[in-house]
Amino acid sequence: MMELRKTLTGRIVLTAVATVILLFLALPIVVIVVTSFSDNAFAAFPPDTWTLNWYKALFADGSKWPAALSLSALIAAISTVFSLIIGVTAATALVRSELPLRSAVFALVLGPLVIPQIVTALGLFLLFEPAAMLGSPIAIALGHTVLAAPIAVLILIATLRGIDERLEDAAASMGAGRLTIARRITFPLAAPGMIAAAIFSFITSFDEFYISQFLSSVDTVTLPVQVYNSLTFDIDPSVTAVSAILIAVAILALGLVALVRWIGSGRQDSLLSVENTVGVANPGGEVV
Amino acid sequence: MAALTATAPAGPRKLLASRKTRIGILYALPVVVYLLVLFVYPILSTLLLSLKDADGSFTLHWYADALTGVNLSVLITTLRISAETALFSLVFGFVLANAISRLKPLWAGVAMLIVVVPHFISALVRTYGWIIMLGDKGLVNESLSGLWIPGAPFQLLYNELGVVIGTTSMMLPYTVLLLYGVMRGVDRRLLAAASSMGAGRVTIFRRIYLPLVAPGLASAGLLSFILSLGYYITPALMGGPNQTMIATLINQQVTKENQWNGAASQGVILLVLTLAGLLLVKAVSSLGASRKKRNAS
Repeated sequence: MMELRKTLTGRIVLTAVATVILLFLALPIVVIVVTSFSDNAFAAFPPDTWTLNWYKALFADGSKWPAALSLSALIAAISTVFSLIIGVTAATALVRSELPLRSAVFALVLGPLVIPQIVTALGLFLLFEPAAMLGSPIAIALGHTVLAAPIAVLILIATLRGIDERLEDAAASMGAGRLTIARRITFPLAAPGMIAAAIFSFITSFDEFYISQFLSSVDTVTLPVQVYNSLTFDIDPSVTAVSAILIAVAILALGLVALVRWIGSGRQDSLLSVENTVGVANPGGEVV
Repeated sequence: MAALTATAPAGPRKLLASRKTRIGILYALPVVVYLLVLFVYPILSTLLLSLKDADGSFTLHWYADALTGVNLSVLITTLRISAETALFSLVFGFVLANAISRLKPLWAGVAMLIVVVPHFISALVRTYGWIIMLGDKGLVNESLSGLWIPGAPFQLLYNELGVVIGTTSMMLPYTVLLLYGVMRGVDRRLLAAASSMGAGRVTIFRRIYLPLVAPGLASAGLLSFILSLGYYITPALMGGPNQTMIATLINQQVTKENQWNGAASQGVILLVLTLAGLLLVKAVSSLGASRKKRNAS
């Protein structure tokens, strides 16, 4: 009886502490979204009166936000295309071929993910500055791809490993050519992974700050740099609305990835009645 | 006859292998070339720049500069804040991962969602959320005043407390995910066995559970330490002048002072610290793997 009570109190305390830690993670995000609808953008929580003024101010005349938003979207789109090209080829090489120095190539891919981003940004600055490419959207997109491509590679490696090669063998045995197999079997099965890779590449570039800040000029200010500037230099209350939009974009993107995965998981199962192992076997402990 | 059937598949298989190798090299080319040009080469040129004097001759004086005076104290601040962040994210991460691993699958899923989703939201935005929350009239101070806590409102921003709160919340998803994986991997039968032999709760925790999760704890702590080292946004926005970290200094030297060599030497120091930490993580995880093997047998 004594033992039971101890466990119960312990459990209650543990749950309470865990809840506080979860609030610690969630509250900063909730507070921004709520504050973005508040009449007074800098104080008082919860707000006294509600308004949409900060969202309207974003698109008012002379606002810097639309330019920053479209620049970030443009750079993220370019970076996504680069990342997908690199990702598809690299994942094919790493999963579906006999590649010499395979682990060295894999280590190179992981490099940008483990090295401090400020170091990567400094290196890119030293590369693009002498080339007079500072402030060029292409230079920023090329820089973002250094961070986004490895993520795309990792997602696509997991995707390719998850495709049952027996389906391709079966198609080949029935006389399908290499191109037909790629078009009719591999691509449809890899499509959800490719969409996920594209979304994560886009978000990586869209939210990237270090490289953007080092490579931007007065005329090319990306959205995160503009957010940082308005938090440090000119206090612009619209920044709460922008932050809330960035939160919405991130959650929307994650939701989309989950949806695509869910649709995709049904596809292979319907083709393959054999029970598949859930998730992706990942020998070597590679983190995906 | 037997020899014939054995050698027959060797020819086509070899052909296939070499074709597969050629395709592999061809497909690996884009990523290798891209990262060599835009990642490896820039870092090597950073290294070169940090060793070059104004007239182009070899020098180590940028490193001497980086390791003396104000720069040294910035480096020490960086190490201190990273250590504090690692400690707090480890403790909170341990408690949360432990709690989640005991939850029913549905609630564990919800809790994991709350852990993971913030990780995909821009650190800049989350930092701003903390600035709103920790201000004099922010949610935290208003709640503390409302509870008649003596001394409230507290100064929670533009000091070390603010920075560590911010960076800890950024690192927490990593530690929770890592530790949750480790805790799920603990063989519950070992705990049951100890219990059946009469070991108490505390003994089981100390002698069985902790040694099993220790390598995971060590790598999670090290990882959040390494990741904090290069942090810029949160210390710059939530700290005061005494919380300048090395990334802030690098940024200042490049954008304001045009001191590229100095920035390069600090970048290299940051890089070396990170790589040393990663080697440690690797050593710890291989230690953990061998321990797990021994226990399982």
